[in-house]
Amino acid sequence: MAEQTKKRRPVKAGYFTVPENPAEPPRLLGTRCEDCGEHFFPKRAVCAKCLSERTTEAPLGPGGTLYSYTFVHFPLFGSMKMEHVGYGVGQIDLPEGPRVQVPLAGKQEEFSVGMPLVAELEAIREEGDTEVVILRFKPTAAAGGAR
Amino acid sequence: MRKTKLHDVAVLGVGMHPFGMFPDSSNADMGRIAGLAAMKDAGVSFRDVDAAYVAQIFAPVMTGVRVMKEFGLTGLPVQRLDNASATGSAAFFEACHAVSSGRYDLVMVLGFDKMTSMIQETSMNTDPAYLEDSILPAGFFAMWATRRMHERGTKPEHLAKIAAKNWNNGALNPMSQRRPDKTISPEKILSSKMIAWPLTAMMSCPIGDGAACAIVGRADMAKKLRPDRPVVRVLASDLQSERYERGHLFMGPVVGPARMTVDTSSAVYEGAGLGPKDLDLVQVHDAFVIEELEYYELLGLCGRGEAEACIERGDFERGGRVPVSTDGGLVARGHPGGPTGLAQIWETTLQLRGEAGPRQLERARTGLCHMMGGGSVCAISVLQRD
Repeated sequence: MAEQTKKRRPVKAGYFTVPENPAEPPRLLGTRCEDCGEHFFPKRAVCAKCLSERTTEAPLGPGGTLYSYTFVHFPLFGSMKMEHVGYGVGQIDLPEGPRVQVPLAGKQEEFSVGMPLVAELEAIREEGDTEVVILRFKPTAAAGGAR
Repeated sequence: MRKTKLHDVAVLGVGMHPFGMFPDSSNADMGRIAGLAAMKDAGVSFRDVDAAYVAQIFAPVMTGVRVMKEFGLTGLPVQRLDNASATGSAAFFEACHAVSSGRYDLVMVLGFDKMTSMIQETSMNTDPAYLEDSILPAGFFAMWATRRMHERGTKPEHLAKIAAKNWNNGALNPMSQRRPDKTISPEKILSSKMIAWPLTAMMSCPIGDGAACAIVGRADMAKKLRPDRPVVRVLASDLQSERYERGHLFMGPVVGPARMTVDTSSAVYEGAGLGPKDLDLVQVHDAFVIEELEYYELLGLCGRGEAEACIERGDFERGGRVPVSTDGGLVARGHPGGPTGLAQIWETTLQLRGEAGPRQLERARTGLCHMMGGGSVCAISVLQRD
């Protein structure tokens, strides 16, 4: 973590947390319905299941299970990094219920349906002393046992 | 209650501007060519047109009504619709129900787009408008394929066989963007550039420009205008958006829930008073060939889990049980956006009339056209020759 002194800003605000401690995994920012208990990502004002307006923000993850995946052989949009000329993408089931689609860390042969994953932040470029970060998931084995 | 059944609605005429790369043609040029061709085909003049629905995704405010001025200024109402890939199908749906309800006698549905210019504009941005924008559309559809392979043992060869079929169908279509001059093999499809595993470039639709038009009107007018040919009726048409289920993907709404095609087709079959076994030909939203494979089952052309065996038997090829994507589909004929769903109406109408030239199927009485829009809407129409 040579770059931990850099400030980090999310590529899009309001979708995930950027913890002060770089070792701490980010959480996804979703919604919980106070009436039926259903969770959603991203945030929404009206419950899509029971149509209640009594919804509150709920942090989701950081763990998840891989429902499906691919490996895209094109540069990651908005990234200035050579290692992003090809990238994994996954559909991940969060323990709270929502399914999300985000990039995956790793190579295609490292992915398998049903494997446990954990969220992490990945810098796609630098703007002065600030890193612009996206949220992605990585296999928990590669996370050194974190969650 | 929403009704899908249509009363005495017919496709009076169809016309197209070819799909492909046309950097020197404007939306107005392409739209005019397709619209004039459709009116000539119907045997009507622009003075006969009561209203126009313009299907167009990627152009500035008021482009719809401006392009319509190409035909003349007669005071008719002009409405522009956008529903992503299903834009042309959505406009056709509206036009059919407007005629069915008695609101108009004769309506023009005109679709055009220049997807090439849209791609140039969005590639100038560096930050995504949505969080999921970093993911290529092919990636979303590829995940549908990966899951299918996991659950059903589907092989890339099955996908390649669908793609080869559509490329070879496109070779027979003068309006097709991809018209290979020799037979395309599944091996050639598999060896093309990998885009998002397991989808290769030749399993994916190209970007392009084009226009297509349908003239929709009362069925009795069809007989009077062109007594020389059979009437092609639109029996039923529906458009549905998503229903919430656990696991719904709110981000990256490119693919859409599978049940949308089941729900929409069920409603259309009921309205048309027939079922999938009555269909002679089918056009689907095959932007990526995994979609066509899934839609075989979701439209009821075969049972759940049977698609792979059907593909191996050639059930959906020309001469097979139910030919699908007979004009090349999105994969070969192309997918400019607004006009795509109307190209399906063009193909189905010509096939039902027996005017499809080298593509003509032996048996073609009833056809279905299916489009998905941004994974968020599904539009389906069933056409039948009297």
